[in-house]
Amino acid sequence: MKKYLLLTVALILVGALLVGCASESTSVLDKIQKAEKVLVGTSADYPPYEYLDDAGNKTGFDIDLMAEIAKRMGVELEWVDMPFDSLVAAVAGGKLDMSISCFNYDEERDKTVDFSEAYYTTEDAFVVTSAFTGTVSAPEDVANYKVGVQSGTVQDGWLTDNLVTSGLLPEANLSRYERVDQAALDLANGRIEILMGDYVPIQALVAQNPDLQVVYRGVLSTGPINIVLPDGDVELKAEVDRIIKELQAEGFIDELALKYFSE
Amino acid sequence: MDFGQFLSYIASGTVLTVGVTLIALPSGLLIGTILALLYVYGGKITARIMNLYSTIFRGIPPVVLLFILFFAVSKGINLSAFWAGSLSLGVVSSAYQMEIVRGALLSVSGDQLMAARAVGLSRMQAIRSVVLPQAVRLAIPPWSNEAAIVIKDSSLVYALGVPEILRRAQLIGASSQRYLLAYLSAAVIYFFLVFATTRLLTLLEKKLAIPSNP
Repeated sequence: MKKYLLLTVALILVGALLVGCASESTSVLDKIQKAEKVLVGTSADYPPYEYLDDAGNKTGFDIDLMAEIAKRMGVELEWVDMPFDSLVAAVAGGKLDMSISCFNYDEERDKTVDFSEAYYTTEDAFVVTSAFTGTVSAPEDVANYKVGVQSGTVQDGWLTDNLVTSGLLPEANLSRYERVDQAALDLANGRIEILMGDYVPIQALVAQNPDLQVVYRGVLSTGPINIVLPDGDVELKAEVDRIIKELQAEGFIDELALKYFSE
Repeated sequence: MDFGQFLSYIASGTVLTVGVTLIALPSGLLIGTILALLYVYGGKITARIMNLYSTIFRGIPPVVLLFILFFAVSKGINLSAFWAGSLSLGVVSSAYQMEIVRGALLSVSGDQLMAARAVGLSRMQAIRSVVLPQAVRLAIPPWSNEAAIVIKDSSLVYALGVPEILRRAQLIGASSQRYLLAYLSAAVIYFFLVFATTRLLTLLEKKLAIPSNP
């Protein structure tokens, strides 16, 4: 069996080598301008940042923002929907020109991709059902309960680094979900007691489920959200950053926030 | 959003689900059959190599192979998500289908091969005209099982962003917050796909059955 394991590892290494060899020297910006089209990835299952409207079209804060960025780049916008976990790999692998999906800066992610300037700042929240009898006066208090989080998010990172690694929260008491709504379902079913997430989508959840309430709100893991760009592509980053600053100065982003995040 | 819209949104992913299956299953059958023939009639060393192939690809979760092919290997050759997904599933399936065909080939008694040689057929002729036709019939029941597995595994290409049934159910579930209904709709569609396929294969099995065989 050991022989096969080694072979599998070797196969994966060969794959990794191929990635290393195929590094491009030209900027993705040139490619975008030549094709007059920008290929942007998002995971359209995260309201109000990116989701589908009643007609099945993509909508949300990030979607509108990206549409405006593409317009100002003078190119057509083509969306590629992918699960959140696949997006960074797709940008790093050259399958996408960039990705907007409520990404926070993260050191691990920064190793394979770049981040634009922040276009907005988000907060974290803990949410419980009315059946919850405990108290959460400080964020560390959640370690006493069964906690759920969306896997691969910065909230997952915060819980793992601050509570699990330090031994406060037993690994068995942390449930990681592929998506926030799956976690919300388990919260309602009582499999978890506290759900940690980004404040804005949590607020949307609470608005839909009167039984839920936010017990803590603050900036823990998250903070600024950015667009994910190909690694080391200075020209593309400069162009995207320029447009983001322009949109902030014009108040366009604040208007979007009001449109999508207001209660 | 009414229920009809909801269901039709998810169901429109069926084209992609069927497309992935129609690439993965036949390509797996083609590779699997060739490898099975090599395994059974190709000598000891070939058999070892085939055994290694089967062990490796049955040992890797399809989704891992999918990621390797799409994100690592296909960087240079620019394979689309749809093709990378379909071909990965085809390769994984080929290992299983090879075992199915191999089992079927071995179930045909070796005496028949000898008898065929005795009446003057060459080895190739004997395999093609005597063993293979019987083996194909024997392989249909386990193969319909594999067909059902490939239909269901086709949902894995959602990880690469191919908007097939499962991914569509996730998207509509998230935006409407009616995820139970979304996943149930997906389950119903998958069930009917698998049901129809296995029924068709059972009919084929009956049609191909040799009347005199008990």
